[in-house]
Amino acid sequence: MKISKMLLGAASIALIAGAGHAGSHLTDTSDKRIALSNNYAGNSWRQAMLQSWEEMGSAAVADGVVAAADAYTTSESQATEQAAQIQNLILQGYDAIVINAASPTALNGAVKEACDAGVTVVSFDGIVTEPCAWRIAVDFKAMGKAEVDYLSSRLPEGGKLLEIRGLAGVFVDDEISEGIHAGVEEHKQFEIVGSVHGDWAQDVSQKAVAGILPSLPEIIGVVTQGGDGYGAAQAFKAAGRPTPLIVLGNRQDEMQWWADQHAENGYETLSLSIAPGVSTLAFWVAQQVLAGEEVPKDLTVPFLKVTQDTLQETLANTPEGSVANVTYALEDAQAVIAEAN
Amino acid sequence: MNLLSKPWIWSWSAAALTFVLTIGLTSGRGAGELAYAALSFGAFAAIVGLGQMLVITLGPGNVDLSIPATMTLAATLALKAMASMPGTALLGLMIALAVGLGAGLANYALIFLLRLPPIIATLAASLIYQSLAIWSNRGLRIKPPQELAEFATGRFLSIPNVAWVGLALAVVVWIVLERSVWGRWLLATGQNMRAARLAGVPIEFVRATTYLSVSVFAGLAGYLLASFSGGAALNMGAEYLLMSIAVVVIGGSSIAGGNSNVPGVWGASLFMFLVISMLNSYGAAAGAKNVLTGTIVIAIVIAASTRKGRI
Repeated sequence: MKISKMLLGAASIALIAGAGHAGSHLTDTSDKRIALSNNYAGNSWRQAMLQSWEEMGSAAVADGVVAAADAYTTSESQATEQAAQIQNLILQGYDAIVINAASPTALNGAVKEACDAGVTVVSFDGIVTEPCAWRIAVDFKAMGKAEVDYLSSRLPEGGKLLEIRGLAGVFVDDEISEGIHAGVEEHKQFEIVGSVHGDWAQDVSQKAVAGILPSLPEIIGVVTQGGDGYGAAQAFKAAGRPTPLIVLGNRQDEMQWWADQHAENGYETLSLSIAPGVSTLAFWVAQQVLAGEEVPKDLTVPFLKVTQDTLQETLANTPEGSVANVTYALEDAQAVIAEAN
Repeated sequence: MNLLSKPWIWSWSAAALTFVLTIGLTSGRGAGELAYAALSFGAFAAIVGLGQMLVITLGPGNVDLSIPATMTLAATLALKAMASMPGTALLGLMIALAVGLGAGLANYALIFLLRLPPIIATLAASLIYQSLAIWSNRGLRIKPPQELAEFATGRFLSIPNVAWVGLALAVVVWIVLERSVWGRWLLATGQNMRAARLAGVPIEFVRATTYLSVSVFAGLAGYLLASFSGGAALNMGAEYLLMSIAVVVIGGSSIAGGNSNVPGVWGASLFMFLVISMLNSYGAAAGAKNVLTGTIVIAIVIAASTRKGRI
């Protein structure tokens, strides 16, 4: 009884400390306003990202952590349009702007203006290179390499691979692909015999894979960038070919397909991507910066991995047709910051 | 009539050539597989291409830029209404066509009532349709009902079902253009709107029905594509904006209007799929792929249009 009371006491102290964290050795942020500047909303990942922001943001406002957490999305995904949007946000007097940028360099001018006006800028996913901004980056190269590492653990004898890339000309696509090729370099038993651009969309991938398959020998594995695994599986099925080991990207339809295949014939694979909730991590980082915490400029966010063991649980928590997601809390942001320090 | 003077011959020759070049790489294996894939994916481009062809035939300045958004909205609402339940395929089709009809009406209303240029009107409207699609389902992918998915990915007489739909639509459009009064009206309007009006052609009726048709075709294409690829996605229509215009131009229809070409649209649709497959099979890098695609397309358009000039 005594112990449980003590625990309860400790827990409530921790809770108070947590809630009033800003008050301990840091500045209070309850009058600060944070804006999200987002360049694109036209796919399920971005929709989940905006939804995470909205849910967590309104909770944070209700709890009095910040005064506002508003999201703004440009309609045409143009860097110029987003630069104008950032200038508007500066004029509206936001204390921090969290950015998912259309371009790593084209927004630097607007970002610099924001910094000069005393606004904290935190970029994530689509990061900006302007030194005054914070960057929450994903190690895309490691992600690409992890795919090949996994394949080598499952298929030690090796074989021929098909690579599905993302949108040509986007730096994420180059990074992941570079990681994949570094992985193939290391595991010499694999060879990439075909490469198509799937634009991170199921239907485009399906089309591209269906077009290249007739010219390919037997494929034992498909390395992907997320959002394209299900389309690839459909193309293999339509061509009457055996289903290779396809690395997936955390979309619900892919994971559902995986679960169905597993029930049918014991199919196992790996799924990895970035949780759309990384927007909430960026929110907390911005909040910490506003609170006066020492935060290094470059932070790394871990990617979300789904394995056979966690498949059922992840699938149950992912809304139909959406993407596996995690909403980050203040503690997660602090852990990421501590790791970088 | 020399065969070379037919504008559609160029897109079909190009499609045949890319097919042979791709198959050459595999020394003959997979020819059936590639033809089947080309017919499946070409069908979607052909359906929206036929609609775009009708609009472009209306004359300079007429083009429908809302095709991708209409496809997305029609597919999203249809799949949401069907909710993967068996026996709802027809309901879904009705909804998709109704969305197409609604989008067409809205587009034409903007063009007629507000006197907006079609490019501006359809582009502005497409932002609204896309937002409606986002708002209605937030990008969640709902699976099509089992029997609909099987139909969309299935085959009949070893030709994909979607290709049958596309071919049937092409035949209907061809008959309407070549044999009906409405087809004559459309061509007359496209060649000279003022002359057509003075000759007693109800040009506003022709314009209205054309803008309705293209949106209904886009609705149908969206419905089929979503059923084919396992659900509607918010960006599913994106590549069909330029594609729909490209297949019309490559197919030998006049971009200035007043002259349309149904077989050419199908040839160009097959070609657009095959050229990407060929470049992928030969392992071209992304940049080279885009440059080559552009060069080939320009070459075909030049070939097709210089021949036509002599008629």
